[in-house]
Amino acid sequence: MLMKIWPKETSLKFMNLRMAGTLFSVLLLTASIFFLGTRGLNFGVDFAGGTAMELNATETVNESTVRAAIPFSADVNAAVGTDARRIVVVKFGEAPEALLGPEFQALSPEEKAEQASGATNELVVRSLVETLGVNPGTDILKNDTVGPKVSKELFRDGITALVVALILMLAYIWYRFEWQFSIGAVAALAHDVIITLGVFAFLQLEFNLTTIAALLTIIGYSMNDTVVVFDRVREERRKYKKMPDRDVIDLALNSTLSRTLLTSGTTLLALLAIFFLGGPVLRGMSFALIWGIVIGTYSSIFIASSIVLSLGMDLTQKTVDDTPGFQGV
Amino acid sequence: MLQFPLWKVILIVLTLAWGVVMALPNVVNMSGAPGFMPKEGVNLGLDLRGGVYLEMEIRAEDVIGGRLEVFARDVRTALARTDSADPVPHLAEVNGQTMTIKLTRADEAGNFPVAETIARIDKVNGPLEGGLAGGKTYEVTRAGPDSILVSVPENSENLMMMDALSKTETIVRRRVDPDGVAEIAITPSGTSRLVLEAPGEPDPERLKSLLSRDGRMTFNIVDDSPSAITAAQAGVVKPGYRLISGPTTGPLLVRSIPEIVGSDIATASQGNDEANRPQINFRLNSNGARKFFETTRANTNKRFAIVLDDVIMSAPNINEPIAGGNVRITGDFTMDEAQDLAAIISAGEMPAKLQFLDQRTVSATLGRDSINAGIRASVIGILLVAGFMILAYNLLGIFAVASLAANVILIFGALSGLGATLTLPGIAGIILTIGMAVDANVLVFERIREEQQSGRSLLTAVQAGYERALSTILDANITTLIAAAILYLLGSGPVKGFAATLGIGILTSVFTAFVVTRWLTVVWIKTFKTKQLSV
Repeated sequence: MLMKIWPKETSLKFMNLRMAGTLFSVLLLTASIFFLGTRGLNFGVDFAGGTAMELNATETVNESTVRAAIPFSADVNAAVGTDARRIVVVKFGEAPEALLGPEFQALSPEEKAEQASGATNELVVRSLVETLGVNPGTDILKNDTVGPKVSKELFRDGITALVVALILMLAYIWYRFEWQFSIGAVAALAHDVIITLGVFAFLQLEFNLTTIAALLTIIGYSMNDTVVVFDRVREERRKYKKMPDRDVIDLALNSTLSRTLLTSGTTLLALLAIFFLGGPVLRGMSFALIWGIVIGTYSSIFIASSIVLSLGMDLTQKTVDDTPGFQGV
Repeated sequence: MLQFPLWKVILIVLTLAWGVVMALPNVVNMSGAPGFMPKEGVNLGLDLRGGVYLEMEIRAEDVIGGRLEVFARDVRTALARTDSADPVPHLAEVNGQTMTIKLTRADEAGNFPVAETIARIDKVNGPLEGGLAGGKTYEVTRAGPDSILVSVPENSENLMMMDALSKTETIVRRRVDPDGVAEIAITPSGTSRLVLEAPGEPDPERLKSLLSRDGRMTFNIVDDSPSAITAAQAGVVKPGYRLISGPTTGPLLVRSIPEIVGSDIATASQGNDEANRPQINFRLNSNGARKFFETTRANTNKRFAIVLDDVIMSAPNINEPIAGGNVRITGDFTMDEAQDLAAIISAGEMPAKLQFLDQRTVSATLGRDSINAGIRASVIGILLVAGFMILAYNLLGIFAVASLAANVILIFGALSGLGATLTLPGIAGIILTIGMAVDANVLVFERIREEQQSGRSLLTAVQAGYERALSTILDANITTLIAAAILYLLGSGPVKGFAATLGIGILTSVFTAFVVTRWLTVVWIKTFKTKQLSV
């Protein structure tokens, strides 16, 4: 039904908009780098260390009583949690050493550095239990404390994962297409990742482990999109040997356009459901994915394809079969 | 592309049936089902069921410092007066991962007997348990005119860390789960870390205080007289005795004051007796050995209870007085039991204080909230995608939705069958996969549409659509699979759960979109002799 409304053939001149697209991307990239430099990313406990705690809000447990109960200054906010539950979110790093008791003060400096977050967490839980009668088993919905050692490792592992993924995909595209395509695809991916990071910096959204997972998924999705376009470009290039590169790419983009919009549409629908109904834990992740799909779709058209157009195609080298080894599946 | 011989159909049906059978325990209580049916649904991650995650570390300087303290006592024995040699007065000081031995008396010429002392120390510097026979544990070198440096070479350090980590793991397990019934996972990570995952455990502080406690290991003489035990069980405990019990020994009456304590034990290991049955060898230090000899001589034919934190591990009979401090416990052990007991005796107390690096707690309430939110988001997400597909592609859309349903069943079947863990980001992964799963269908349908527009008959258009979309589908999904694989390898906790569902979802969605939808379409066209499909 929907497809009846959709024109049978579109012939939009995407490549005519190439300069405008490039300009737009350069602007976005500059802004992203600016915000990353000035505001920086708002790291969650996974990467920054410290504690993030969620308390079940009741008559006695609310923003002001919790703030009063904690013997040092912590970041306390009322919020709406998963499944519309009213909660109090508490974030803190390390308490002043004087509050942490003689046992902690007897530790070596090295142990102090590692144990301070944990000891602070114990102090806060004890204060909440003693002054507000909080039951640690049921009223503390969530209590995450990450020490400096692990937070550094998690950050390093996250960055490693991103870089390794980019390199492997570059290699895969190189193997399946030509180098021009592989450069176009990876430039598009880097574009998507940097701009997504820029949005996280601009909006000061929490950047944590699940955000890294989301970034990798964006990379996968954007690559997926780019590959679909590239496959078509290669096919049309072979079909119309005399046609200029610019028209071949426009033809490929037009013939994959309905697919691109449909797939992005269904994926966006699914993600919007997570964003609105999946609770705060998934909100950052689904936001990154929604943003990533929009920017990924855009970049496969305006970045990946226009880079291939600038670099030129040389299909004489790999004019063999489309699907080496995949025939007869 | 359009031929489905019987064997292919059987294979498709078997795969789908496997998915249904494996996924069934997630929706139906299978406890009454026949034996071959799976009983367990998918594992829920701690973020969905509530629980405690603790990452702990033992530090190399603590482990090695502890070993050097023990070696310092061996050195003292080696440098003591013997029948043929004079004592060497010295001061030993452990400093981080090395030990300095300073000789305190020079000979008449003012020289210190460094070389001779090194030779005497090397006699007690044997191989580590698990190390190469004939090797040396420590590197003992001259560090000055009057001092000797004892350091730990890298391979010894590795063995010591491995040993210490496995002992810590055993102690941690015994401590958090004394009855062996709780569903607590303790996994070593790297060379110095332990990860503990306790579902449903509401209080991480309790776990932490349990684990930061010292382990107390004692050997106590048992009073085996039946009348004393009966009296004790009736509440009249003989003065100077305690009634304690153990899983293999039952309640026993033991002397309150232990004969041997943890600090008397040097090391323990699993060995074999003359009949090649597993036994436990352990070595007491000099002090312990002397006490042990005297105790066993005075108490021959009594039982000696080996007690760990007030639980009797074992209560072997003293057959004869034992000198030398090399003791073995024979019994009806399996190899594993003997190894475990050896590890426990050997560890006695934690080899090093546990450092808590990362602790995460989710209450059962939040877990339930998350499941509710996850289910609601999934159901609505799937309905939206399904509605959209049917609107866009009519009959083919219905086939796509049918294969989407098969996809969800296969994902749950595979997650259950592989024992993977479902986390909240994992649920997001499933929803994302469903959004993306339609991609393969859309790629094919768009091709079919194009082919039909260029005037081909329906069957040829379907054939061409699938053939042409194949390489695109594979390329596109392999790239996403690469991302999922890397996330799985480098990710931790919830992210790993996300990667697992994403990876499984990619495989099942390619299968369902490319095989199941195609099969449904072909069967439909052939059955109803359809000439035109509106796409």
